[in-house]
Amino acid sequence: MNLSGILVIAAPGHFEATIENLNELSGVEVHHTDPETGRIVVVQEAENVGAEVDGLKRIKQLPHVTVAEMVYHYLAEDDQILESLPEDFDQLNEQVKVPAYLNN
Amino acid sequence: MGVTRRDFIKSSIAATTAATVGLPLSQAALAKTSEAEAGWQWDKAVCRFCGTGCGIMVATKDGKITATKGDPDAPVNRGLNCIKGYFNGKIMYGKDRLTQPLLRMTNGKFDKKGKFQPVSWDKAFDEMEKQAKKALKEKGPTGVAIFGSGQYTIPEGYVAAKFMKAGLRSNNIDPNARHCMASAVAAFIQTFGIDEPAGNYDDIEYTDTAVLWGANMAEMHPILWARIVDRRLSHDKMKIVNLSTYSNMSSDMADSEIIFSPSGDLAIQNYIAREIIKRDAVNMDYVKEHTVFATGPYDIGYGMRATDKYAYDEEKDTQAKQLKVKLNKYEAIGQRKKEGEVVEQKNAKTAGKHWMISFEDFKKGVEPYTLDYTAEVAKGDPDEDIESFKKKLVQLADYYADPKRKVVSFWTMGFNQHQRGTWVNEQAYMNHLLTGKQCMPGNGAFSLTGQPSACGTAREVGTFAHRLPADLVVFNKKHRDFSENIWKIPTGTINPKVGSHIVKIMRDLEDGKVKFAWVQVNNPFQATANSNHWITAAREMDNFIVCSDGYPGISAKVADLILPAAMIYEKWGMYGNAERRTQVWREQVPPPGEAMGDVWQVLEFSKRFKLKEVWGEQPVPGLKAEGFKDGKLPDIMPAAIKMGYKPDDTLYDVLFATAEQKKKFPWPDPKVAKGHANHIADRLGDGWFPEKALFEEYAIFGRGHAHDLAQFDKYYEDDVRGLKWPYVNGKETQWRFNADYDPYVKKGKFEYYGKALKKLPSGDLDKITNKEKTSLAGKAKIFFRPYAAPVEQPDSNYPFWLVTGRVLEHWHSGTMTRRVPELHRAVPAAQVFMHPKDAEKQKLKRNDLVWVSSRRGKIKARIETQGRNRMPRGSIFVPWFDEGVFINKLTLDSTCPISKETDYKKCAVKVVKV
Repeated sequence: MNLSGILVIAAPGHFEATIENLNELSGVEVHHTDPETGRIVVVQEAENVGAEVDGLKRIKQLPHVTVAEMVYHYLAEDDQILESLPEDFDQLNEQVKVPAYLNN
Repeated sequence: MGVTRRDFIKSSIAATTAATVGLPLSQAALAKTSEAEAGWQWDKAVCRFCGTGCGIMVATKDGKITATKGDPDAPVNRGLNCIKGYFNGKIMYGKDRLTQPLLRMTNGKFDKKGKFQPVSWDKAFDEMEKQAKKALKEKGPTGVAIFGSGQYTIPEGYVAAKFMKAGLRSNNIDPNARHCMASAVAAFIQTFGIDEPAGNYDDIEYTDTAVLWGANMAEMHPILWARIVDRRLSHDKMKIVNLSTYSNMSSDMADSEIIFSPSGDLAIQNYIAREIIKRDAVNMDYVKEHTVFATGPYDIGYGMRATDKYAYDEEKDTQAKQLKVKLNKYEAIGQRKKEGEVVEQKNAKTAGKHWMISFEDFKKGVEPYTLDYTAEVAKGDPDEDIESFKKKLVQLADYYADPKRKVVSFWTMGFNQHQRGTWVNEQAYMNHLLTGKQCMPGNGAFSLTGQPSACGTAREVGTFAHRLPADLVVFNKKHRDFSENIWKIPTGTINPKVGSHIVKIMRDLEDGKVKFAWVQVNNPFQATANSNHWITAAREMDNFIVCSDGYPGISAKVADLILPAAMIYEKWGMYGNAERRTQVWREQVPPPGEAMGDVWQVLEFSKRFKLKEVWGEQPVPGLKAEGFKDGKLPDIMPAAIKMGYKPDDTLYDVLFATAEQKKKFPWPDPKVAKGHANHIADRLGDGWFPEKALFEEYAIFGRGHAHDLAQFDKYYEDDVRGLKWPYVNGKETQWRFNADYDPYVKKGKFEYYGKALKKLPSGDLDKITNKEKTSLAGKAKIFFRPYAAPVEQPDSNYPFWLVTGRVLEHWHSGTMTRRVPELHRAVPAAQVFMHPKDAEKQKLKRNDLVWVSSRRGKIKARIETQGRNRMPRGSIFVPWFDEGVFINKLTLDSTCPISKETDYKKCAVKVVKV
């Protein structure tokens, strides 16, 4: 599960339509809006980590979206990380093994 | 994860995002944020990737990075991050991170043909010491080399450069920044006499026009692009012009897209200059008061080897053009010569020489660049109607010539990686200087950078084969004296002979001239053009290659010894971005396993050299300089002893951990550290703060010399988000050379006070006629530079142009970004971008696997006929991040003869279905 906070700026005159378009995207929630500046803050949830990047591209490709850039990234990959430190962090030592690639 | 917990995190992320970009928020929303982030420690930092220099905030908890966000207080990015920047926190956690030194061994002993096996740091340094000393004994200081970096932190670059230049007395240290910025540097020095841009990013919010010349900002500098787009939407007059050899993402927002032929930019700029003159739009007062006209030789070669001794048979026809070139029709017109004339490239070694000319001569120079001629030579899309192309050229000239329109020209690799890179950079200044649109808010020619500290470290610290800190150079006696004085080392220590630039270090490996090379913070065996030669040289010749890296890239694979390096937030660091802004971060998390920062690696290695081993008389083949015996550096031991040094002192004692430095810059330093660790200071264990000591010593070079940096501690203050040098009397400098902003301007409204190359002979367009040098102190130069065709062009065997470059999701050779699953999955492999009709003609479909080959090598990749890069017929684009699609096997190692920067944008290839 991946969560990202994204700033979207809609072209003048297309604010409401852009919010509607965003809300129609799966995994995207509009949280804050500022009609005066056309700025919209959305949170995107992607089931598959790879989908996160595609998700941003999807937003960028919406009509009348002039800016869509990530602002905040939550580095969580599973529940455990959300609640505590991952235990496997110390297991980096295992990776001291020579990467196979090098001796190919 | 429970739904409530997830919703809670989401609303917190939304609140933080909104707060970051300055959206008004309720107290309740803010309270949620602080609750979710309990126990996190936030600290300011700088993005690891491009030269934009975005500020990011990094949260850590229990020794691990938990979150990153755009820094709302950072003036560069104002809270935004691009997709790469967003994943800064993840680049350190790839599964194949290097955590222990690895040495090629057989039966417990170093063996060049052996397999990599883990060794201790001691054993690693033992072997390095043995090999480096062997190379020094056999070849002298030119037998060793460092591949340096535009990604070095400032202390890393400084420690490496000082170790080489003051310690081993070798100038063979050159950064990968040579591949990205050297043409910009050469043009800055030749035009202004001092390096780096006059303006800053705020130009975007003041200007009426952004002209992109070979800079796909939408993909490569997305945050600056967001600022340009913002300006376009909020300022009615604002226009964006995108000049490129293919259609890219920046074109989507551009008012005008000009697709030009490779090297056609040289003609277009002269056309603009001609129009400015024809329309009487020259700002004569400005030109008379602040500029002179100049030119140089055209027969300067293409930066290739002058011999074909090492060339593959296939390469020999291209290689031969280094010596002689037959002018084509367009070159003949643009250079006022005859078509078919064979020109010997006599000035290949003196490509940078230049002289003053009159305005009348300058006008004669640009006269052939009519609209008809320029459109014919420069139109890059065979399917575009020439009249439509002409219209766009006229409109572009309108923008530059209109005295009421502000213009900023941006460029990056399209100009810099160019066989005439220095020329084309100088031409950009030509049009800004002719119209006086330079060095003021919203007006100026702005060279963007590709690497996070190409400016701050490679250029300002001077980790180049010819440079010393603060624009000083090794071949100038006064500059050497000044440096030796600061470094407290004997006169005659610094080698006056310019070392090998990065491409030449590779050639030196092939020649057997360099026997020991150390790769630091870069991946040169993937990055250098025509790489089959260099990889063979590294693996087959008698030499020893060390590679310090966080991940095993191609350079690590090619090396004999791999040293695991601490990455970005695992160490203290400072970067300098493209607008002269120096920014810093603290060590946030410990490096994994036995990985150590590059500063420590150099310092520790310097303990292995005693003065008596390196400061005796040393051979330097070809050295000829006043005050030096031919071919020799003097024995400086007697002078060193007089200064109080002992023969058994190590370079560490004398150059780095001196009593004075230890006393002035002690570690721990709680005021600056604020609880953050320093694994390097701790491991050294002798009570000093190396990064601070190195920085403060380095800063002495520039203070009072128009390169003033602030105090180390100042940058670490909570409310500081980087400072633009020169930093004088507590103030940063927004626009240099402009009396309203720059304290170094002493006379008039504008003063180009840079000191380099400010005495010139004079002549006409073709030659020097009066050798007597005149001073042009305080002035900039407007160069006439002609059109010259690329040295290798498509023909019946190799019918396509090959352009290489980056993609948004990956950075450089992908050693970091390909370890982030999200980025890797977004763009897992490099594709061959091709025009659909070109594909159809060869019966190729999208996603077909093809061989792409040049005279130098071949690779396999899949075809992409749609997507972000839309090629004109006759050109293909292949990005270089993917080591599986090793495109630099194909590219040509031709450089700008002045800057020695490789042209990665123009060579000829064929495409065949697998």
